[in-house]
Amino acid sequence: MSDANNQATGSAHQGVGAGSVIERIIFTNRPVILGIFLLLTAFFAYNASQIKPDASFERLIPLEHPFIQNMLENRDDLENLGNSIRIAVAVKDGDIFNKAYMETLSEITDELFYLSGVDRSGLKSVWTPNVRWVEVTEDGFQGGPVIPDGYDGGQVSLDTLRQNILKSGQVGRLVADNFKSTIVYAPLFEINPETQEPLDYKQFSLELEAKIRDKYEGKNVNVQIHIIGFAKKVGDLIEGISAIATFALITLGLTFTFLFIYSRCLIGTLVPVLTSVVAVIWQLGILHLLGYGLDPYSVLVPFLVFAIGISHGVQIVNQIAVQQAHGYNPLMSARLSFRALARPGILALVSDAIGFLTLLFIEIDVIKDLAVAAGIGVAVIIVTNLILHPVTMSYTGLSKGGQKHAKKVDMSEHKSWRVLSFMAHQSVAPISIVIAILGCAIGLYYQKDLKIGDLDKGAPELRADSRYNLDNDYIISNYSTSADILVVMIKTEPEKCATYELMDVMDRMQWRLENTAGVESTASLVSVSKLVTKALNEGSFRWFELSRNEAIINSSIQRAPSGLVNTDCSMTPMIVYLEDHEAETLERVVDTMEDLIEEYPSENYEFLLGAGNAGVEAATNQVISKAKNIMLLSVYAVVSFLCLVTFRSIAAVICIVTPLALTSVLCEALMAQLGIGVKVATLPVIALGVGIGVDYGIYIYSQLEAKLKEGLPLQDAYFETLITTGKAVSFTGLTLGIGVCTWIFSPIKFQADMGILLFFMFIWNMIGSLWLLPALARFLVRPKKVAA
Amino acid sequence: MNSIFKIVQGRLAASALSACVLSAPAFALTDVLDTPAMKSDQAADHLLLDVATAGANFVAVGARGHIILSDDDGSSWQQVDVPVSVMLTAVHFPDSSNGWAVGHGGVVLHSNDGGASWVKQFDGNLANKSIIQQSQDVVSELEAQLDVAAEEDLEDLEYELEEAQFALEDAQLDAEVGASKPFLDVFFQNNRVGFAVGAYGFIFKTEDGGQTWVNYGDRMDNIDRFHLNAISKVGDTLIVAGEAGVMFRSEDDGDSWETVDSPYDGSFFGLIATGDKNVVLAFGLRGNLFRSEDAGQTWERLDTGTESTLMGAANDGSGKISIVGNSGSVLLSQDGGRTFSESVRENRLGNVSTVYAGGRRMLMVGESGLSVTTPAGENL
Repeated sequence: MSDANNQATGSAHQGVGAGSVIERIIFTNRPVILGIFLLLTAFFAYNASQIKPDASFERLIPLEHPFIQNMLENRDDLENLGNSIRIAVAVKDGDIFNKAYMETLSEITDELFYLSGVDRSGLKSVWTPNVRWVEVTEDGFQGGPVIPDGYDGGQVSLDTLRQNILKSGQVGRLVADNFKSTIVYAPLFEINPETQEPLDYKQFSLELEAKIRDKYEGKNVNVQIHIIGFAKKVGDLIEGISAIATFALITLGLTFTFLFIYSRCLIGTLVPVLTSVVAVIWQLGILHLLGYGLDPYSVLVPFLVFAIGISHGVQIVNQIAVQQAHGYNPLMSARLSFRALARPGILALVSDAIGFLTLLFIEIDVIKDLAVAAGIGVAVIIVTNLILHPVTMSYTGLSKGGQKHAKKVDMSEHKSWRVLSFMAHQSVAPISIVIAILGCAIGLYYQKDLKIGDLDKGAPELRADSRYNLDNDYIISNYSTSADILVVMIKTEPEKCATYELMDVMDRMQWRLENTAGVESTASLVSVSKLVTKALNEGSFRWFELSRNEAIINSSIQRAPSGLVNTDCSMTPMIVYLEDHEAETLERVVDTMEDLIEEYPSENYEFLLGAGNAGVEAATNQVISKAKNIMLLSVYAVVSFLCLVTFRSIAAVICIVTPLALTSVLCEALMAQLGIGVKVATLPVIALGVGIGVDYGIYIYSQLEAKLKEGLPLQDAYFETLITTGKAVSFTGLTLGIGVCTWIFSPIKFQADMGILLFFMFIWNMIGSLWLLPALARFLVRPKKVAA
Repeated sequence: MNSIFKIVQGRLAASALSACVLSAPAFALTDVLDTPAMKSDQAADHLLLDVATAGANFVAVGARGHIILSDDDGSSWQQVDVPVSVMLTAVHFPDSSNGWAVGHGGVVLHSNDGGASWVKQFDGNLANKSIIQQSQDVVSELEAQLDVAAEEDLEDLEYELEEAQFALEDAQLDAEVGASKPFLDVFFQNNRVGFAVGAYGFIFKTEDGGQTWVNYGDRMDNIDRFHLNAISKVGDTLIVAGEAGVMFRSEDDGDSWETVDSPYDGSFFGLIATGDKNVVLAFGLRGNLFRSEDAGQTWERLDTGTESTLMGAANDGSGKISIVGNSGSVLLSQDGGRTFSESVRENRLGNVSTVYAGGRRMLMVGESGLSVTTPAGENL
């Protein structure tokens, strides 16, 4: 590295040497090289166009984790539990007992009945005949549909309806406690039994919007519609991913503008942009050839690739401008630039790639995919930026205007660089160090609140103020329901899922769980058995108890909901409704459950954790928290090792790695303060941030060292570093920042989180390397020793 | 209503039942009748089934063996240690220190310190044993009688013996199922003599403060084994009321029971003496309320204006009577139980029992635990 930079800075004065073999091969066969690139790009472009969005649920979860394996093994029996939608039809003014509202509700129920994908037999609303009122009378049960016979919307009918609803036990379930809304509940078919086609979530979600929400909110202005359910969430997510295309265009435009302002040369702007676009095309094409799709996480890699491509491209443009200013023709300037930048460029990119590869430690497919995609991207950049870019530039050169601007800017910027060079001054450096220590202390203090997992209520994938989450808030606050569910699966021999022995144990466990902080309620066959036993004893609360008479148990669960028992009674779930899905809650509840499983061992049954969204999140959190430290350690070990090998100096390692570590600490503090947890989306950011951030330090330090070797005092050497490499580094930081900052506006919460954190890390790593590195060097590097 | 359960209690299901019982637990999980109730912060907000006064204290019992105690008119409550974790359905203190709580599994608990501590005196397993013993005694006696019987008595005796043998078989089947029948009410005349009544015609009497309990089920004409839901005393008359309108009176401390010609064929859930001589109220399913002024011999229906099932009642001793029930219903009488006015509690949750506390306070217990209200059920 130091040699490479030595050569880079010296080359302008040395004149035209022969260069390396590779350089000669490349630059003497330029048409062939360009032809090959053209062909390959066309090939990869075709493949890239074939790439499919891949929102597979399984890739997002740690498949090796026992919770997940248990869940997947019992998937068929658990299916009934999940896939449904709830549509809350709310009245804006007054209550639900009015003719117009009831008419709209009836129409919505009918509309849903005919919507493809809905399991009609399970459809439930005040208007469906399966929603009934029941009353215990002297002669037994009496009941009927809640909509009274001969309903005509008149006051008498509405009063009867109100009475029936009160007697139906649906208040809090299908009818809100405040009588200002009711729910239409529709279970969905995962596979349409008629067409055998899997449910198209995007299409279904769009139909819900058009045929239900828009249509009936338009028809009855006194009505507001809230829709939740897995299908709606996935639909919204898929819609959110498509916003990425817009971000890509904005990023492209921003970068273009920024580059042009910087270079004032159309060629100097177009070539890096096009080269980087080629890199993205290659990366996507190769991904597709390797059989990968684009999931909501790896869809961000092209942005990174583009940004890295631009930042390296800028350095080439910069070099060429310098060479042309020295009077070399475009070809020679390109060759000299190649010669100067090939080695440090490759080193920097390789260290990026290794940084990414530490992500492979995390046993979650989507993160591994991200590592692979980013790794491919960086490898591609090595080829496109270091070969295609200079070769293209060797034809075009830079415009005169661009060269002039480069010179002019050089002069005008010198003043500010001069000021910045005081960072290496002996009286400023200690202040910097103190500030850094203070910053680190503050960061460590705030970092204490850093949490694992998703912290927001509702669907964590979407923003808190997204329509889905607002709908979710509405439904949760008006109905007795929770969005966070942990499912414990209980396996027995066939026909043994409802023995007194097991039910008794479940009953005890449920009460213990209900007494665990964070648990809202629990449900199982036991709850059903108690409820029905009470009902069969004339509704007397004195019978709300599990009977030890198995015949009574069996008759009490005969009509249990299908989700609570499988067909041969060999699996029954215990459902734990949680107050939230914060990591601490999940951990506490999972620990309690694990203790309980140990407390009540038996050969007759097996309790298995854990399905439901909370089970998946608990498993993911366990994997993440275990992987986090390993990943941090390995990424820092790799980076330190690379620096040590390159510079053969502990001082260099400290100078380069300390600013990174400070950024990591501050980043975690920022996460804690912004309420962003360490999760599938944010863990990779730490590795990406460190991997890319180390480039700055490497570039700055190698240049600084080169200048020191020339015998300059530290501050002067640093000034010389700033006006060449420093400039490139600050530009790189800004381009990378621009590349990711558009994600902050993604409708998908985790993409926004990634955007915020990467933006912060790219900018702070740059600041750290420009500000803290020279201060550290003041104390650690002996200029005389280096020069000698 | 519980006809399904009745059938399985019968002989038809004998084989099926014994098969179930044979696959008994293979590991030693302590039975709920021997597992102390878990201490829970939610005890006062969880399902409670009865509340009683114990001198200056109030004691409420409920699901999962919860017993909570208040010594400040119900403002604050403390859960006490209880040796079982089955649902306790009723509690009664004949004096300020001695009290009894009963519940599922046929459990009877006794406290001699105003509800602060409890010991188990009796449970369904002992009940089953005692009934088997009693049935066997009957069978043996009839067999002995048969040996020496005169020709003309033979047929009657043989029939009686057959019935007794069936009763014994039933008792043995019950024992195989285990302690499955709940007690639903308890009443003590003093700190020695008391009764516990419950499901499927369960009635036991003690005369030694609960040390020994004797089955009195055979002294009632309850061949359908209807649940006995409530027991109370007005003057010198004991009254038991239950499922399907069954009602029995005894004027000799339970030795013999007379079947009352019931005014109603739906279930009664509660009885309360108004304080006036021989005046008693009986209430139950769908807002049905009856008044008797001759210690339960004849009854007259009162208009309540509600269709909610009435579960429990309290008497403040000066003519004020409150009756609570399902769906938040509260009936209030200011005239010794002659007329009632209904109000509905805002939360519409069911209450099972109530008691007057100091001032104008009522303590109500039910599906959401304990609430302190005005006599009309408004929250305090």
